[in-house]
Amino acid sequence: MTPIREMGRLSMSDDRREIVRVESIVKDFRPGLGIRAKRVLHGVSFSVREGEIFGFVGPNGAGKTTTLKILMGLIRATGGSARILGREVGDAAYRAHIGFLPENPYFYAFLSAREILRFYARLSGGEGGVVEARVEALIEQVGLSDAADARLGTYSKGMLQRVGIAQALIHDPQVVFLDEPMSGLDPIGRKDIRDIILRLKSEGRTVFMNTHILNDVEMICDRVAIIVKGRIRHEGPIRDFLKEDELRSDIVLADLPEPAAQAIARDFTARVQTVGEQVEVQVREEQVRPLLEAALAAGAEVLSVTPNRISLERVFLEAVERGEAAEVAPDSEVESTP
Amino acid sequence: MTGSLGRITPIAINTLREAVRNRLLYTLLFFAVAMIGFSVLIASLSYVEGERIIQDMGLASIRLFSVGIAIFVGIGLIHGEVERRTIYTILSKPVTRSEFLLGKFGGLLITVWIQLGLMSLAFAGVSLLVGAGFHLGHAAALFLVGVELMVIVAVATLFSSFTTPMLSALFTLGIYTLGHLSRNLYFLGQQSDTESVQRAASLIYRVLPDLESFNLSLEAAHGLPISGGDVTLATLYGVAYSAALLVLAAFIFHRRDLE
Repeated sequence: MTPIREMGRLSMSDDRREIVRVESIVKDFRPGLGIRAKRVLHGVSFSVREGEIFGFVGPNGAGKTTTLKILMGLIRATGGSARILGREVGDAAYRAHIGFLPENPYFYAFLSAREILRFYARLSGGEGGVVEARVEALIEQVGLSDAADARLGTYSKGMLQRVGIAQALIHDPQVVFLDEPMSGLDPIGRKDIRDIILRLKSEGRTVFMNTHILNDVEMICDRVAIIVKGRIRHEGPIRDFLKEDELRSDIVLADLPEPAAQAIARDFTARVQTVGEQVEVQVREEQVRPLLEAALAAGAEVLSVTPNRISLERVFLEAVERGEAAEVAPDSEVESTP
Repeated sequence: MTGSLGRITPIAINTLREAVRNRLLYTLLFFAVAMIGFSVLIASLSYVEGERIIQDMGLASIRLFSVGIAIFVGIGLIHGEVERRTIYTILSKPVTRSEFLLGKFGGLLITVWIQLGLMSLAFAGVSLLVGAGFHLGHAAALFLVGVELMVIVAVATLFSSFTTPMLSALFTLGIYTLGHLSRNLYFLGQQSDTESVQRAASLIYRVLPDLESFNLSLEAAHGLPISGGDVTLATLYGVAYSAALLVLAAFIFHRRDLE
């Protein structure tokens, strides 16, 4: 493990080292008889830094899964280079340090969760008691204790997703790659997966997440790259997508006296709306804390605080529109923030 | 168990566990055993050499149905893993594509050897029951069926590594048929007066497997002498040919995009 960690450190270009470095990746497919090539990735470049949750965002067919498959060594890039932990992705050795959850994962239906995790643990070089302990810990962690011995063929989509996450973590990887981890899940399932991803980050792991669900990106990602029609349109920290005056939060309060509501509207230039017994306040992000303190001092109860980051959606939609335009002018500039 | 073997073994065991759930395997196994039993009925209709008929039919049934199992279970070996995307999570672990391929090959080979063992038991049981006897020659013939199955499984693995099950079945059946004719093709070519025809026949013989070198059914059924040297040579040939096929399969599979 140590040599790879050291190699990764060599490629440090920020205070946090780069875990993934993708440079000018090009991918051509040859559908049908293979006479004409179709280019699906046009010089994709981005980097992922240690300990962050990186959102790789794009509409369906943008090239997210193709990029991820190149990173996993499942397909070969036509041009460019991709390195994970300092190693070229064609080299199987780096895979001892990464976990991968494919989109809509499928597992051997005749095995149970416990059996399939043992299988993946052995593939990862685990042996004996260490395997058993790790398998049991992960079954507990992803909440499958009650169904661990049931055949996977009987599992729901959400349960299979949990098995997928457990297998991705079976060898205690430094970096985890997730392809559409929340796709097709119900709200509870999505929240559970979000919680697991946040826990991975808190454990110091780096998470790379392919998704087209902006809400998930806003909630958990530290940095984002937007890919449209095989080209990166934006890359940078999530907050850089949101200009200062556009960072707003929705706060829902109960039991807020009328004079206090008026004072809040005046002092914080907030938009205040009374809905039944509740008061909804929309306020700029830097005013959230003082407003909450004022509301609590006035005897109000805080029901919810929701960051309202509509601008990512706007940036995303603009990127998609520019992607359409780039079909005409393919060498258009890519915006990037460090 | 560490290193490559530690990764190949679980893949092989899983392949075996998956293969024994294939209903086709049991159907073919049932027919093979039924044919061995049926040979007793056929032999009872003959006035002469009833025991020989039983053993001829028995060995032929074993060869035919074993190869059927090897081909029809083997053709979807790799394709199924790619199609269902189970290969994605396996190859995201520190498993090379060659190790994956060897695991699949090993699992299927164990499966067909187990069914060969069961058929051999049925054959030996019937042979002893009718007083035809079960000798070392029979054991040698069945052993070489096992070696032939190894070559067939390697052929199926090769084709499964880059094409669809349907094409893989056609190609493997084609190689099996030509493999049993390759020796005749060679001798036929040598009869020609044209040097280029002789060379072509020689080349075809070298490239195609000589599956007749694994066929000792006639000698075994009729109690003819079997040379230990021939068995050893055929075994070495089978192992070397299978290894060459697996190297070629790994070479192709390494370059393949798993979409």
